[in-house]
Amino acid sequence: MTHRIGVDIGGTFTDFALFDESSAQIAIHKQLTTPDDPSRAVLEGVTVMLRDNGVTIADVESLAHGTTLVTNALIERKGAVTGMLVTRNFLDVPDMAREQRYDLFDLRLTFPEPLVPRNRRREISERVGYDGAVAEALELSEAEDAVRDLVDNAGIKALAICMLHSYANPTHERAIEGMVREKFPDLHLSSSADVYAGMGEWERWTTTSMNAYTQPLFDSYLSRIENGLADLGFAGKLYIMTSSGGMLLPETARRYPVRMLESGPAAGVLMSAFHGRALNLDNILSFDLGGTTAKGALVRGGEPLKTDQMEVARVHDFKRGSGLPARVPSIDMIEIGAGGGSIAWIDERGLLKVGPKSAGADPGPACYGQGGKQASLTDANLMLGFLDPNFFLGGAMTLDKAAAERAIKETVSAPLGLSAMRAAWGMHDIANEDVARAFRIHASERGFDYRQATMIAFGGSGPLQAMAIAAKLNIPRVIFPIGAGVMSAMGLLASPLSFEQAQTRRTFLEDINPEAFAEILAPLTKAAKQPLLAAGLSHADIRPHIRLDMRYFGQGHEIEVTVPGDDPAKAFSALPGLFAARYTSLFGVAPMDESLEVVTWKVEVVGPPPPLQSGYRVTGSGSAATASEARKGTRTCGFGGSPVEASVYDRYALISGQTIIGPALIEERESTCVITPGNRATVDGALNIVAELEA
Amino acid sequence: MKTSASSQQFDAVSLSIMWDRMVAIADEIVSTLVRTSFSTIVRDSYDLSVVIMDTKGRLMAQGTYAVPVFIGTAPRTLRYMLERFPPETLRPGDIIATNDPWIGTGHMFDISMMRPIFKGDRLVGYTMSITHLPDIGGLGFGAAAREIYHEGLRLPICRFAKDGVMDPFLEELIRTNVRVPEQVIGDLVANIACNEVGGPMVTSFMEEYGLESLEPLSDAIGEHSERAMRVKLGEIADGRYENHIEIEGTDGPIPMACSVEIKGSDVSVDFSGTGGCVPRGINVPFCYTNAMALYAMKCLTIPALPNNSGAVTPIKVSAPEGCLLNAQPPFPTGGRHAIGHFVPGLIFGALAEAAPDKIQADCGMMDLMTIQGTHRDGRGISTIYFASGGFGALSGADGGDCVPGPSNMAVVPVEVWETITGTTVEKKSMVPDSGGPGAWRGGTGQEVVLRNDTGHPLTIFCMANRTEFPPLGYLGGKPGARRVHRLNDTEVDAKGSYILAPGDRIAMTEAGGGGIGDPKDRELALIERDIAQGRVTKEGAARDYGFGG
Repeated sequence: MTHRIGVDIGGTFTDFALFDESSAQIAIHKQLTTPDDPSRAVLEGVTVMLRDNGVTIADVESLAHGTTLVTNALIERKGAVTGMLVTRNFLDVPDMAREQRYDLFDLRLTFPEPLVPRNRRREISERVGYDGAVAEALELSEAEDAVRDLVDNAGIKALAICMLHSYANPTHERAIEGMVREKFPDLHLSSSADVYAGMGEWERWTTTSMNAYTQPLFDSYLSRIENGLADLGFAGKLYIMTSSGGMLLPETARRYPVRMLESGPAAGVLMSAFHGRALNLDNILSFDLGGTTAKGALVRGGEPLKTDQMEVARVHDFKRGSGLPARVPSIDMIEIGAGGGSIAWIDERGLLKVGPKSAGADPGPACYGQGGKQASLTDANLMLGFLDPNFFLGGAMTLDKAAAERAIKETVSAPLGLSAMRAAWGMHDIANEDVARAFRIHASERGFDYRQATMIAFGGSGPLQAMAIAAKLNIPRVIFPIGAGVMSAMGLLASPLSFEQAQTRRTFLEDINPEAFAEILAPLTKAAKQPLLAAGLSHADIRPHIRLDMRYFGQGHEIEVTVPGDDPAKAFSALPGLFAARYTSLFGVAPMDESLEVVTWKVEVVGPPPPLQSGYRVTGSGSAATASEARKGTRTCGFGGSPVEASVYDRYALISGQTIIGPALIEERESTCVITPGNRATVDGALNIVAELEA
Repeated sequence: MKTSASSQQFDAVSLSIMWDRMVAIADEIVSTLVRTSFSTIVRDSYDLSVVIMDTKGRLMAQGTYAVPVFIGTAPRTLRYMLERFPPETLRPGDIIATNDPWIGTGHMFDISMMRPIFKGDRLVGYTMSITHLPDIGGLGFGAAAREIYHEGLRLPICRFAKDGVMDPFLEELIRTNVRVPEQVIGDLVANIACNEVGGPMVTSFMEEYGLESLEPLSDAIGEHSERAMRVKLGEIADGRYENHIEIEGTDGPIPMACSVEIKGSDVSVDFSGTGGCVPRGINVPFCYTNAMALYAMKCLTIPALPNNSGAVTPIKVSAPEGCLLNAQPPFPTGGRHAIGHFVPGLIFGALAEAAPDKIQADCGMMDLMTIQGTHRDGRGISTIYFASGGFGALSGADGGDCVPGPSNMAVVPVEVWETITGTTVEKKSMVPDSGGPGAWRGGTGQEVVLRNDTGHPLTIFCMANRTEFPPLGYLGGKPGARRVHRLNDTEVDAKGSYILAPGDRIAMTEAGGGGIGDPKDRELALIERDIAQGRVTKEGAARDYGFGG
């Protein structure tokens, strides 16, 4: 058992990484995604990759998997017919949402429809107070009648049980759950306090409905993977990646599919953090640009910034507030409507814009020759010479440069009176500006100083745009990691087992002592550890990280404080000081003389570090005998819209210590790293390319 | 309209990048302001604005998430500030501030803070931030004042900070005059801090693009905006369009009137015929009227156009001095939104026939109720409850159910509300049939029932409207249901103050939005969906739409 596999399913490709622990070698593989049944590509790819590398499946200790299946089901509304039980007199909570407009000027704004339409919801007589006391007893027979009605007349396959204040006392939800398990054993069940034990009914109920809605589909998908792997003779462990960058066993993943929303992208960020730790970099911008969107995340001191507030399936151009809220622990990512397929258009001011509309994969950019007439970012990059029409995807696909030029001329240059090269550069530049803007705001909202950070770029088009974006952000360094085309698959190998439990329980510090504080945390820690113990870890292997959302009495929002050390009772007395320090650093004013309260308690437990450590090699890289051998020739590129001769290199032939002076293009199968003029890049010991930008 | 020579140095690419960068800088200043603000109103309701202006005092960019009330106010505020502190007297690190309703944004809760931007020792522009403070003394948030002096501390234009440091006397003055000094000072510090980070962002942007001054870029932004606005305004047929409505006041209905004159692409909006000021805190200084009128015109033309001085050049707004929409001191203005929010609907109504595919029917508007008392745990309560009525319909779009307009807020979740107040929300549900019938239906209102379970008396202050005069529908669309407040099942004045004894209930039925177009023209499938999803009852569908008959 010396091998581990990482598999990440993307929109176009399913990526594979095979790590050999004994030799610290990683082999990579790509396979077209099979959208009708994504498990097919997974199983085929595993077979092919193992055969190509002469490894038998019996030698594979684990397979770690990342998938956007859950997110896609929500975006495409392909989940199960789902029912919902709610507290009487609150049937309309899912429709009423926040009672807030996310755009003040567009009066035609629309909101996402609830996942469970009103006619598949039923009210149940019961009431729990904010303090957890039962104010009105549960009518269990009413719940049974309601579920029978939903099963018989609405044909529901999944059920979300959503009662008010269940985070404070889940008795009623559990009683209903027990009844349904007994009387309707085929239904998939999600209870709100189990999915997310936090305050805020719309957010918790919506998160729960997402969980219910995607459960049947995710369950059967995992079964197909498990059975398929078993058929291949796999006897190792299957792990599923969560949005927060931890691994779960299939059993826990099945129970909480909503924790898998950003499964694949999280793995990419995790790999950025991994490289950051290996290279001793404090602040990192992780940047991934694919076919339709770009994703960004921030890494501080080796750890990705996290959030428990996500938004899914936005209906309005990626606008914040136009999606459905998911309260799950996640790496804090921004999604930007900029990708290779982003289409150029002229806005109402008469100015050039790029995206967020995308040509997608079909028809795709004009240069794909599949009938696309509109100019996309990839067309501009082809016209600017950043892409080689004969070496797209390593030559697997030929690009039509004339079609790209025609689309740019017809839809951009002619209406705006620009030369074709100016138009193409403008598209490239505007896409970069959009990404830079999103990073600036994201970083500024989190008090993260990006100006001295390092960007780590990956994805199909990330390495192409990264240095120009870094220049706009005054970022001094960009790293193009080895294996950037399968970054998420590799990140799956760099993730530990972990799980997080959160609970709203409003408690004034003055009302408790160190023992009571520890007593509140104990059951939460126990619950968080459960999935890890089930995966075979011992208590000694598991480290808890405790974070508290705290505020002054009267303050409308909370500040997160990390509890130091392993013994909460010992850390209790330090809390006011820790909060005051955090408060002062955020607000720039002296701390207040007010009572302090803890609102949300969070315990994340993490297993031992993953086996993937720095110093691994990617099979087939570093193949040249001398530095000059990696140079393939030159190509004319339109930096700034003016033609410049750029050197072209083969990424996999580069050797450690080699220096490359921009302008240069470093081609690999999945992408091209663009080294901008006047800047230099060196290849480090692990074959990552480290580019420094002149100030 | 002329195109200046200097603005021609920008093509459709460079202007796109530089203009959007200016907006991005304003957005980044906003995010600093929001992150460092203490109060919920800034963080969650975005009751704030950040702008960048050139040396001529023209607005170049405004933060994207500003609420409508701040459109066009900053250049006027800056003009007054520069009269008091001429540009040549300004030094790097100066902060000029005021909360004067007539100089700033219409009530004393809003502080406007301006900081000059220096590139080396040369003044190149200004940043300004505006936020709604948690308190400013006086009677507190509401309409109870009879004159401006009841409403708290009025700061004339002053040098609030020197070298970025708050004037110690002014800090002490404010601390002494407000209820929650820590929160107020915290928010003032956030304003100072955000302006401090804004200037260097502007100058480093100028260095990146080799700009010696902002004026050529400002010219280009203004010209493109004005041109785009004129194209859209030109689509509305020339003519003079009028609207007269009545709204409920304390001593009988208050008339509100407007006329909109369109000549080519020039628009004048005038509010002659509107009633006079009243001795309650609902009078509207002209700056606020102007902002709401410009907001309405923006919604009708190019909602996505970034705010700047050029975008509003073609539109002239006026109101007779002394009328409710051009209030003069010493009339109080604390709750100026209660009247000011009628301005967009007034304009949409006037333009119903001229721009039938663009206007919105009346919104049910939101209901704000201040609650004061004692929690079951003995701690004090002073907070605002918010519930929204239905959004007005547009041609081709039903109004959103329980969506606020023209202003915006976010609801406090039931679970949070009950926790912080100790009251019980017995019910919160949409009211079927409350949305104004039409080819496009108005959004439904909702019913909220609150029970005082605190064990102590609760005082509530209401400021609601749409109780006598329902939200209107247009072009054949019907009005939405009116708003009703009930105290223990007895209808009460929705602008009154009440004491809720333990166990008492206040029930608020929020107004529905108005409909657009004849209900007979509504698609059958939409009626069926409304019935299935509980927006309309079968009886209501038969009565209002002739469904099933």
